[in-house]
Amino acid sequence: MGATMDGPIHVPQDGDAEALDYTKAAPPEEPVTPPGRWVKENLFSSTSNTIQTVIFGGLLLVLLRFVLNLVFSEENNWAAVATNVRLLMSYNYPAEQYVRIWFTVGALAAAAGLSMAAWQLHPRISVRRIGVNLLGTGGVLIVMGILTPGATPSSIRIGMLVIGAALLVIGAGLLFGTEDPHLKHVSFTAVLLTISGLIIAFLWLFPLGKYLFIDGEAIQEDGTVSATTKGPWTVTILILLASLFVGRAIGKAIGGTRPLRLAMGVWWVIGPAFLIFLVLRDPEFDWDYVLKVDLPLALAFGLGGGALLYALTKPTFADQARAVGAVLMGFAIFNWVAAFFGWYAMLQKVRFSFLALALFALAAPTFAGEKSARLRFAGMWLGLVAVGHWLITGINTPSTLDITAPPFLGGFVLTVSIAYYVMLASFPLGILLALARTSRMPIFRVLSTIYIEFVRGIPLITVLFFFSIMLNLFLPNGMAVSELAAVFTGYTVFSAAYMAENIRGGLQSVRKGQYEASDALGLTGVQRTGLIVLPQALRVSIPNLVGQAIATFKETSLIAIVGGFDLLRIADKTIPAQTAFIGQKRVGLLFICVVYWAFSYSMSRASRNLEVKLGVGQAR
Amino acid sequence: MTTTNSMTDVHNGLTDELRARNDIIECRGVDKWFGDFQALRGVDLLVKDREVMVVLGPSGSGKSTLIRCINRLEVHQGGDIIVDGVELTNDLRNIDKIRSEVGMVFQQFNLFPHLTVLDNITLAPIWVRKKAKKEAEQKAHELLERVGIPEQANKFPGQLSGGQQQRVAIARSLAMEPRVMLFDEPTSALDPEMISEVLDVMKDLANGGMTMICVTHEMGFAREVADRIVFMEDGRVVEIGTPNQFFTDPKSDRTKLFLSQIL
Amino acid sequence: MPAASAHHERPPFWRNTNVLKWGVQILTLAAVVAAFWFLVSQAKTNLDDKGIPVGYDWLNDPANIQLGEGIDTVPDTMGRALWSGMVNTLRVAVLGIIASTILGIVLGIARLSNNWLAQKIASVYVETIRNIPVLVQILLWGVIVASLPELTADPGEKRWFFASQKGISLPRVFYADGFYQFVALLLVLAIPIWFVRRYLKRKQELEGGEQHVGSVTFGLFVLAAIIAWFANPIMAWPRGVFHAIEDAWAEIPQSVMQLILTVIAVAGAAWWIKRFLDSRRTPAGLAKLIDDDYFRMIFAVVGALAFVFVVWVLWPGLSSWIINSGSDFWGWLGDKFGGDRGSRPLDGMRPTVTEGGRFVNYAPTGWTLTPAFAALFFGLTFYTASFIAEIVRGGIMAVPQGQNEAAAALGLSRGQALRKVVLPQAFRIVMPPLGNQYLNITKNSSLGIAVAFSEVVQVGQTLYNKNNQTLAMYSIFMVFFLVCSLTISGVVNYINNKLKIVER
Ligand SMILES: Nc1ncnc2c1ncn2[C@@H]1O[C@H](COP(=O)(O)OP(=O)(O)OP(=O)(O)O)[C@@H](O)[C@H]1O
Ligand SMILES: [Mg+2]
Repeated sequence: MGATMDGPIHVPQDGDAEALDYTKAAPPEEPVTPPGRWVKENLFSSTSNTIQTVIFGGLLLVLLRFVLNLVFSEENNWAAVATNVRLLMSYNYPAEQYVRIWFTVGALAAAAGLSMAAWQLHPRISVRRIGVNLLGTGGVLIVMGILTPGATPSSIRIGMLVIGAALLVIGAGLLFGTEDPHLKHVSFTAVLLTISGLIIAFLWLFPLGKYLFIDGEAIQEDGTVSATTKGPWTVTILILLASLFVGRAIGKAIGGTRPLRLAMGVWWVIGPAFLIFLVLRDPEFDWDYVLKVDLPLALAFGLGGGALLYALTKPTFADQARAVGAVLMGFAIFNWVAAFFGWYAMLQKVRFSFLALALFALAAPTFAGEKSARLRFAGMWLGLVAVGHWLITGINTPSTLDITAPPFLGGFVLTVSIAYYVMLASFPLGILLALARTSRMPIFRVLSTIYIEFVRGIPLITVLFFFSIMLNLFLPNGMAVSELAAVFTGYTVFSAAYMAENIRGGLQSVRKGQYEASDALGLTGVQRTGLIVLPQALRVSIPNLVGQAIATFKETSLIAIVGGFDLLRIADKTIPAQTAFIGQKRVGLLFICVVYWAFSYSMSRASRNLEVKLGVGQAR
Repeated sequence: MTTTNSMTDVHNGLTDELRARNDIIECRGVDKWFGDFQALRGVDLLVKDREVMVVLGPSGSGKSTLIRCINRLEVHQGGDIIVDGVELTNDLRNIDKIRSEVGMVFQQFNLFPHLTVLDNITLAPIWVRKKAKKEAEQKAHELLERVGIPEQANKFPGQLSGGQQQRVAIARSLAMEPRVMLFDEPTSALDPEMISEVLDVMKDLANGGMTMICVTHEMGFAREVADRIVFMEDGRVVEIGTPNQFFTDPKSDRTKLFLSQIL
Repeated sequence: MPAASAHHERPPFWRNTNVLKWGVQILTLAAVVAAFWFLVSQAKTNLDDKGIPVGYDWLNDPANIQLGEGIDTVPDTMGRALWSGMVNTLRVAVLGIIASTILGIVLGIARLSNNWLAQKIASVYVETIRNIPVLVQILLWGVIVASLPELTADPGEKRWFFASQKGISLPRVFYADGFYQFVALLLVLAIPIWFVRRYLKRKQELEGGEQHVGSVTFGLFVLAAIIAWFANPIMAWPRGVFHAIEDAWAEIPQSVMQLILTVIAVAGAAWWIKRFLDSRRTPAGLAKLIDDDYFRMIFAVVGALAFVFVVWVLWPGLSSWIINSGSDFWGWLGDKFGGDRGSRPLDGMRPTVTEGGRFVNYAPTGWTLTPAFAALFFGLTFYTASFIAEIVRGGIMAVPQGQNEAAAALGLSRGQALRKVVLPQAFRIVMPPLGNQYLNITKNSSLGIAVAFSEVVQVGQTLYNKNNQTLAMYSIFMVFFLVCSLTISGVVNYINNKLKIVER
């Protein structure tokens, strides 16, 4: 991929209108052909074409009928899904605290809206494309309405036919009623607003029914207005829209979206941790202890470490900084060895802090400079200590949640969080492995190659099993990790190998001249890698990394096999075991198929857009 | 390798005035192999302070290899290279020192495509020389002015013409305030109409008293600006002399042949 | 100012980049080895505390399990049970590879078809299927197969095709007693055919004209197959030979095997160093070696010595293991020949239902996809086909448009251009990612555990739940999958190299 790029990477800038409008990168759309000619050209242009039409047409009917039979079979009780949506989404999360879930969803919606504004996501969509899509959807709906088996409720059949016909009419109207529909564009905002309006209208006007478990009793009321979720969803959609507009306004006010992009980037790294551990989990802080131990500790590390780092970043102190860093690093490692052998007690948080401080001290000569640079470096340390100590304290504090079965995370929330954190945690590991594998130092290269090829040679499920069963065996007495943490570790170890290969692809696309120029300027190896090589390599790797994110998201389903209560496990095991819905496996599986599909598909579409926008993956 | 199979005296062509100045670069019997191919065979060279030396020679004669050895982009395997009194060895400290005292301009510019012109120029002063950002940026603007493209500071390299890119590359090297500048065919990748804009910048530099070693095929530039010309072939220095000696009265047959082909 | 007087002054070691470079590497290696050592010994201690000795002796313990299907559904030893599981894994992987390749190619080409319907159906298929986790699909197929009709046939009734909740069954061809003799005879007959082929080729080169090398070879080969089909009993004699080898192999003393391994290691290191020095040799003598070069050579020597140390001190059992398994292999091969074996290489049968309405698994009456197998097979095949379709499409699109135009200019039809010009070129681009997908199928077959298909991981898990030999079991899994991966990537690389040679 990257190898085909010989021009420099084109980086879109703020205000660089041409770079942002990526519809221009797509091939120009053709004008609309009249239906008669279109059918002749595309379906019956030659004998072989006609034969294909007949074969694939037949196949289409058979497949559609097969799927419709699956969905509308008499054995299916869709109430099993409707009643269990909450279980599927958030597992055992207590109903009385559910507002936390909604807060999380709202926060994510706000972040999504701001990010859309920050990355200036506003493709223009041609009227032709909208028309064609409406026509296609309408046509398929009508065929489905005709083909659907007898067991289908007549309201659904009629609904399919009516909506299909309506879409057909609107689509045809757009396509043939507008002049030059391929040249007319609708703005992204308009499309977004229309879709949001439709969804909200649907939520409030359509009789969704009410399906709930109350004290283990399945409540199923058809036809009444949905009372449970339409309010929160409406608010969420409004938040999304509002934050999009707010973000755009901010961008306009400060004349560029760069700061917003930076803020959103940081948020996407630490925000979800904040949401999971501090909002969803709601730790019950023991304020006495916090004030007596946690806060002083954080202050000591933050301020003391900050002062030390400020001193060490003085340009003339490089040697001293290295020496201090080496000593600190020795001490930090000794701390861990001592922990393994249980020589002395020390808070885990303190061990981590010393390790981080040692790393910062070692990096100090690299970040040395005049006052403002030194202050920024010390500030970075302060921020890290603040966030890190807060999170660790939060994680170690018992939760207030009243949860009957232990895992507080489950269902879709678990699926998404695991995928997210596996990607996040394997990212630095993957970078290190990729760098080692492309390094000129043979031992690093060999070690990393062995790791990568070994992990890539074995199936994920064995890795997960191995870690969930065995990790505690490898740890010394007195140390143990929970099963979920073990599985997470295993998944990260696995994912890092693939990540490394993806990043290596990017590294190989960085030309030799870039290394030489950095060397000639006197950059150190670390600076060369961090400032010159990685930024270029990662940009090239983005499409592959998104591909890996999608694969990771899909493969979290394997957690169901090793005992996690994720989306799949609930659909496959929990729901069919409920007395009200004995054996209702198929509906659950079909439902989660749709959930997985919607997520993966939108991610891959987004990545394709991003690819065009970044101008990578295209030979230029 | 101790054999010094030099055919010429490194002091050839030095005026008395140059002779009195400090040595900046001294190469003694430098050998360099690529696998079993010897690219440099006992090269001797002496560059004086504020001297402009132009290296000529047929393709593959080892010109690039020589100046890359001086910058330690390649590691020489025999002989000594001494830059500004510091010998090039495996010593970490010496390498760092040389790198920031010797600027280099490449044939393919090698600008950093993900950074703006300004960031390209300020990167090394901030991270290597530990300068304040403000100061570095001010200096960068001055340098851009000097190379004649003050208005391009916020563009990305991909948005510049070849000549502009090469001038940014020169500014980037100058920002480190090097003692010596190395140029490896800085104009070979440029369209003819852009060559002169880069050469003008180089002439200015030379007139400003920068010590320079230039590998180039621009004979006009060599004749006009060079204090001395070095002719290389087959990894050896065949001839050293003033431009006048070199172009009007070449000593070796090989040089004569080269000149007859090129002029 | 005179030049620095310090000539050839070696920098102090803490500033010498070569020393630093290798120092960091060696320290890292030491740390990795130490960490590994520590973890393994920790695990060993922990296991010993629980009274679980780590080792492989349990492979010969009685298994007491029943597998859903396989070459041996009631294996007597645990090793045998694992072997059955491995065969099941390979079975589903190989079938999945074949089926998904065919489906994937069809879909990939359909996506590029000029027929709108074909194009749309293929792309909807791809975009739908590849975005749903394969495990979910496998489970869904399990549910679908479970909802097939009840099995209604009478016991003993033969049919051409059954599809029911108990699985799907088709007529099947299987290896009969004479198969190995048949293959051996075919190999023997292939030798003269190869000579004929070489002769014809040479003749063609010398005399030109059409010597029909390909068709003559093919015809002779068919003839040889027919001969071998009937004459295979004459290949009974390898039995004695192989058993003789078995005995001889078993006689090798352990120390001799250790010596052989030592020689291999030392010779390997010597060969590497010689090659390395050769690469540093110049017409003007040996190029000056730098520290880095010495480090490399020292490393080769240390590596060889470490291997020798393993062979003689750390793990002397390795040599006897090689001896034993080698001897076992020859014995196993010898049993496949002569004796009271029949002569039919292959046989075929239609499926029947045995009593109790249960299909016979892998018995010689029919080829049965058990529900578990069917679920896994369909899930893997349809999922992987969507990726293969994308790979095929990408490969075809990567062939320059000029090739198509040139073919059209020569008067080839669209189909001919595809078959003769585009596909052969696309093949080369497609091969490496295709190999990756084949690897994925093999690895994903371990998801059979979710539908209780008796593949290696499922069997292994059942076993270690009985005897707690988790660590040893995982080492077996890893070796098995690594061997599969290496085999597949080896084949892919081989084909790739072949194609490159053809190209020249
Ligand atoms: N990295 C390398 N590996 C192997 N051989 C090399 C390498 N770099 C240069 N060489 C060889 O060394 C010789 C000298 O190369 P060099 O680039 O110094 O020539 P040059 O005089 O700069 O030529 P040109 O005018 O074409 O740039 C050439 O024969 C080249 O093939
Ligand atoms: Mg050159």
